[in-house]
Amino acid sequence: MVRVRYDDVTKRYGNEIGAKNIDITVDDGEFAVLLGPSGCGKTTTLRCLAGLTDPTEGEIRIDGTDITDRHPKNRDIAMVFQELALYPHMGVAANIGYPLKVEGVDKATRRERVEAVTETLDIGELLDRETDELSGGQRQRVAIGRAIIRRPSVFLMDEPLASLDAKLKVEMRNEIKKLQRELGITTLYVTHDQEEAMTLGDKLIVMNDGTVQQVGTPAEVYHDPANQFVAGFIGSPSMNFLRVRREAAGSQRVVAANDATFSFSVERLPTAVGDTEPFVLGVRPQYFSVHQSPIDGAAKAEVTVTEPMGDEQLLTVQFDGDGREIAVRAPFDVGVTRGDTIWLGISGERAYVFDVETGARIRQTELSTDTAVPTGSRP
Amino acid sequence: MATDTQPSREVGRTLLAGVERIHETLDSYGLVPTVTNGIALLFVVWTLFPVYWMVSGSLRTRSDLLATPPKLVSTALTVENYPELFVQRPAFYEFLFNSVVVTVGSTALAVLLGTAATYGFVNYEFPYNLGRFHLPFLVLTTRFLPPIVTVIPLYVIFDTANLLNTRLGLVLAYAAFNIPFVVWMLKGFFAELPDSIVEAAVLDGHTELGAFFKIVLPMVRPGLIAATIFTVINAWNELLFAVILTSNTEAQTLPVALATFKTAYAIQWELLTVAGTIAMAPVLLFAFLVREKLLRGFTMGAVR
Repeated sequence: MVRVRYDDVTKRYGNEIGAKNIDITVDDGEFAVLLGPSGCGKTTTLRCLAGLTDPTEGEIRIDGTDITDRHPKNRDIAMVFQELALYPHMGVAANIGYPLKVEGVDKATRRERVEAVTETLDIGELLDRETDELSGGQRQRVAIGRAIIRRPSVFLMDEPLASLDAKLKVEMRNEIKKLQRELGITTLYVTHDQEEAMTLGDKLIVMNDGTVQQVGTPAEVYHDPANQFVAGFIGSPSMNFLRVRREAAGSQRVVAANDATFSFSVERLPTAVGDTEPFVLGVRPQYFSVHQSPIDGAAKAEVTVTEPMGDEQLLTVQFDGDGREIAVRAPFDVGVTRGDTIWLGISGERAYVFDVETGARIRQTELSTDTAVPTGSRP
Repeated sequence: MATDTQPSREVGRTLLAGVERIHETLDSYGLVPTVTNGIALLFVVWTLFPVYWMVSGSLRTRSDLLATPPKLVSTALTVENYPELFVQRPAFYEFLFNSVVVTVGSTALAVLLGTAATYGFVNYEFPYNLGRFHLPFLVLTTRFLPPIVTVIPLYVIFDTANLLNTRLGLVLAYAAFNIPFVVWMLKGFFAELPDSIVEAAVLDGHTELGAFFKIVLPMVRPGLIAATIFTVINAWNELLFAVILTSNTEAQTLPVALATFKTAYAIQWELLTVAGTIAMAPVLLFAFLVREKLLRGFTMGAVR
């Protein structure tokens, strides 16, 4: 069942586009993550739903009801802000219970619900503390408590973990996910951190330049990116992009587009790729095969940096006579050091092909460079 | 040593380097605390001696107070000047009352309007904020004028509006010239509040006005207290407007009354010191009671 629906929502700030033609849905109980670089419009999109920003065009519906012009307090939503926005002149219990107080819920009921929420969040012992006596993680929990106490129909979070250190971030991430599952609250979560998005979301909504680039499950956006932006944004280290062309008409070998400084074999290149025009080949660092002696279909390259990471190592390599560096992940037991020559091969299924001009994905079976964004489905 | 390095040799001719050398010399004899404390003591005597003289004068007889050579410490203290003041000048009660009404009224008005204005300045875009000549600055410019310049037109306006010689007139005049102070004292406090605080309050069920009173005002309380004290002091001590805009006990305030002790024929020193002490006491007491909050207000306590 669809809980939140954006119907062609656009927000302009003067001549600037904040978000453009946003057309997304979030199902009941779903954890949706708005993901993108800063300035991509994800927060604007979220604030339109919260009612803190008025869309210039379009409609937003919750449970089928148009709430576009409703006051935030009448939307049955709650939000956790990046700065948390705890009320500093109130203690922990007062902060968490505040939405109920404004609603006019009596004191005894309020206390009861506050205690229940703090129990869920494992901060029962902090009830009588002041907010400035809390650690970062505890403040986070209080902010979440204040948001869930009203049992909103939609729960919004705007980069709530941005100010935490790495370890705490992972910890809170898991807790948020657990909590969301337990409570079954429909959630929209904004982040620029793709790792956070992948681990949290049922559905990722990848945005750039104010528009939605792709909607899908974490696996879909990772393994089946709609365009070059999504392919490059999701995954760390990022996907490598090489500007190439076919070596000869109909050939399954590609060479560097300008000077043919390297050549690879790539099986099953989409037929839509013409015989002479250049295209972009995208390969994730772990999908190169590393060889220490010449092998057919592999390109010669020189290792410039090695970064051991335990089980594997991250290599930065340069193709012979080509200035561009690419990242390659190799098993730890591939014994290479700086200055060594290696040969890189690509597994055909793991290479993506993009249009040079539009960045649109060119698929195996498609004949045209379709830019349509596939809509996500729940796993 | 600092004087041996190249840069300080260059400033060697400046006054600052000379002072530094004195500092160094004093430091080598361990005299720095003595000297700084001495200077502080001098400052305290300089500022507090007049207060001491006035308060002790109110407790002395006229002849004792005016003795030559002056007696710094009196042995014959008396409180009879206090009832004497009210016997000789029964209207003193009225002056006191007027002062209280005008101070409380104008402070309440200035803080209320000033706070609302500041919140607006900080949180909303105004089309008439033209570049650098933004409105909060223009508000402050009203304080650049010498008060005597504004009091003449004000007199004419008040005359037309029947506000001359009324407490309401003084309340309005004082509020008007205290609002800029309130705006500028509070601006920093409001600017420090994260936007998300008000947004959170709105999502928690408040209207913006509700959020302003329930969330924003409590958060800027140190600033409100500092601004209040400041306007109280301003209004309580104001003389110029009061002298010109009022003419009798209907509306005249304490500072005006104090000025009348000095006539062409005589100065009633012993009564003037009593009146001065009474005029000074409330503000001093008030500031003393809230001194911690006042300090926090002036040092812009962390809001978060």
